[in-house]
Amino acid sequence: MDNKNKGQQEMVGFVLIVVLVVVGLMVFLVISARSSDEAPSSIQVENMLDAIMDQTTKCAITYEPDYDNFEDLFKSCHQKKTCSNLDFICPNTGDMVSKSACDCLNESLIEVLDGMLNTEATISAYQIEFREKDEPDGILKVFDGNCTGTISEAQRNVVSGSDSLIIRMKVCVE
Amino acid sequence: MKIMQMAFMIVAVFFFFVLVGLFFIGIKFKDVESSAAQLHRDQAISSLSVIADMPELNYDSSESFTLDEDKLRVMSSNFSGVYDDFWPVASISVHKLWPVASKQIKCPGSPDCNYYELYNNEQNNSKTYSTYVSICRKIKKDGFVYDNCGIGKLVVGVKIRDG
Repeated sequence: MDNKNKGQQEMVGFVLIVVLVVVGLMVFLVISARSSDEAPSSIQVENMLDAIMDQTTKCAITYEPDYDNFEDLFKSCHQKKTCSNLDFICPNTGDMVSKSACDCLNESLIEVLDGMLNTEATISAYQIEFREKDEPDGILKVFDGNCTGTISEAQRNVVSGSDSLIIRMKVCVE
Repeated sequence: MKIMQMAFMIVAVFFFFVLVGLFFIGIKFKDVESSAAQLHRDQAISSLSVIADMPELNYDSSESFTLDEDKLRVMSSNFSGVYDDFWPVASISVHKLWPVASKQIKCPGSPDCNYYELYNNEQNNSKTYSTYVSICRKIKKDGFVYDNCGIGKLVVGVKIRDG
């Protein structure tokens, strides 16, 4: 009886050790899976995002030639402003209306990023996400390409009025 | 018999922990290798800021990686010969990425040019590093002066030491 008890105790001890190790492994796997959701930040993508933010656009909110750069255009889009120098005929009413900063931002971003995608052989895909801080729904999301390599990202925080905006760029490098 | 059972048990537990340890080490080292390569690349790019932030090229001293196109024009003309002994690298060139051009046209010379060669000591054994920069210039229109910036790429060649 004593021997049987001892054997049972040893079994229970061994099972406990195995359970402990498995639990440890699970915790480790969950932590690694969570951290791998965010792509590693890279100076190269940071510099690319900085250069894009400085690029002058065609949109002038108040007067020409006070053109917005992309950083200002993101703020103008958030503040729902319009480009005073970019008019178009509204297909529904036939009136001349100013193009919204968000439309201009969307078009210009796609134009610039597609151009970069074509000139850079190492970049296979990109994504730019624009949203308010602590807001899950984005204001604008632009992406193109088919990612087959590793993803790097960079983020820029911009203050517009009393709101904090986040512009995050992800680039897929071969 | 009991001692043998215990010995087997200990060996089994030992192997189990060794396998778990190897699993952890494998994952960790995979990360370390890719992080080291990334750090090396980032360090090379950071060192390009030394060139980009030189007053001879920089547009706004408060902003890093912003080049003055007028300075680029001067530095890539005949004047650049004065600086031949100054540059600590094998070659420096700046490429305009926007608007997209189908072919490379050297500046200055053509209004549609898209590439400035500031310095090249014709070093064969060199490795190039590049990073994105803003290329800015002041433009006067309707009596107003504004900053016009575009995306560019700074390409620096560094001599590889023999041996």
